[in-house]
Amino acid sequence: MFKRSASLVALNLWCLGVAAVAQLSPNEQLPAGSAQVKAAAACLTCHEARIIVQQRLSKAAWSKEMDKMIKWGAEVDPKDRDALIDYFSGNFGPDQPSYAAPSSAREPQTGAKAKH
Amino acid sequence: MASRRDFLKTLPAAAMAAGAAHPLLSWAADQATIRVPGKDGMIVRSYRFLDLEMPVEFMTDWITPANHFYVRNHMFEPAKLDAKAWNLTIGGEVEKPLTLTLADLEKIPVHSVTNTMECAGNGRSGHNPKVPGIQWGKGAVGNAEFSGPSLKTLLEKAVVKNTGKHVQFRGFDPVPGKVPPFVRSIPIKKAMDGDTLVATQMNGAALTAHHGFPARAVTPGWAGAASCKWLMEITVLDKPAEGNFMSPGYRMPNAPVKPGEAVKPEDTHSITALTVKSTIAAPSDGAKLKPGAHVIQGVAWAGEADITKVEISTDGGASWNPAQLGKDQARYAWRLWNYAWNPAKSGDYVILSRATDSQGRVQPNAAVWNPGGYLYNACDQVKVYVQA
Repeated sequence: MFKRSASLVALNLWCLGVAAVAQLSPNEQLPAGSAQVKAAAACLTCHEARIIVQQRLSKAAWSKEMDKMIKWGAEVDPKDRDALIDYFSGNFGPDQPSYAAPSSAREPQTGAKAKH
Repeated sequence: MASRRDFLKTLPAAAMAAGAAHPLLSWAADQATIRVPGKDGMIVRSYRFLDLEMPVEFMTDWITPANHFYVRNHMFEPAKLDAKAWNLTIGGEVEKPLTLTLADLEKIPVHSVTNTMECAGNGRSGHNPKVPGIQWGKGAVGNAEFSGPSLKTLLEKAVVKNTGKHVQFRGFDPVPGKVPPFVRSIPIKKAMDGDTLVATQMNGAALTAHHGFPARAVTPGWAGAASCKWLMEITVLDKPAEGNFMSPGYRMPNAPVKPGEAVKPEDTHSITALTVKSTIAAPSDGAKLKPGAHVIQGVAWAGEADITKVEISTDGGASWNPAQLGKDQARYAWRLWNYAWNPAKSGDYVILSRATDSQGRVQPNAAVWNPGGYLYNACDQVKVYVQA
């Protein structure tokens, strides 16, 4: 009985794994937090979240990035600026572990081998 | 200008569905993947805009196929380009401004250059403290044969005036928000050296959309930013181009600076040719190796200079031995190298590679930190465990 249950658990985990593979969104998500919605509105119109979540920057560096992006068209209410910098530096500061980038699917060249 | 942009559409995210995993490589195992048409097993640094890195495991071929060649996009990628509607203008400090169609370009003699192209920010993630930008590992580099008219031929047709000192490239990647357009220039001397191309082909096939179809600049031996993709406008100037991607972008301090230290623009210079560098393709970092013979292999390049030597250390840098250089070579191309290794006993090993070039430059133990995180070129390193 135990053996069968263990097999079912293994099967379920395998299925979950397959589902996770099939459902991976090409675009990364911003983490939950009080400024998540405003950060998404300000940043993700132009680029996806992966450009943000791979950074590991000090608060001063995030502040500089924020000003650059506002100059480049990010719409940030001045009263939200500090909260957004806290959100970014809190989630993507220098002490956070490195971001593990995903891979693109294997898609070997088909047909005749390209000229080298 | 507006009419030329009418046929451009940005790549819809929905066009790229999530794909299934093919865990054939170590780094892809147990990991969901993202489908990017035309690209095979790349590291996705960013999906929108598309920035893809080649895993070091692929650096065992002299020529990098297009589906493994890194992609660096600053903006949206133009899609559904109509080659018949495309044209290239050459203007500015010239006597005879030109407008060339793709058919016009194809009538001009083709010149081919095998060029190792590397993003100036390749290796940025190795800098400490971290600096903002795409956190490239080791693979924003590739080696391909690019073909098309020499830029010199086109500029001679346009007849450059004596006042023409710099040549500016502009692509038609659509600009989001108020982001400045990706505009950069190279000095006239480099533009006229005969090897700088308006390339329409890569490895004998038409450029793919990711690599600048229908035409791109290729500035051999220089950082990738000098090789503007989706080229539509060449302007001869009497001074370097202006704009974010000339300054503060793609500049190095003239002397080393400490993190946080302010650098005046006049104390910086624009990045041009690549520096000396080697990368270990195999064994992989963290590999558990069986006892016996192994081949340590990889690539080495030096921009406009030639690689003269690659040395390998298997004892963390205490001693060094020369690697054998591969037979394939071309002026701006990387060299393959390999080193036969038969570890005497089991245990942990730190393997290092160090390249030297014809200008006497030697890959340093530590890269020069700089605010843009550019030109990282410290000796490469992998740690492996040899089993008993």
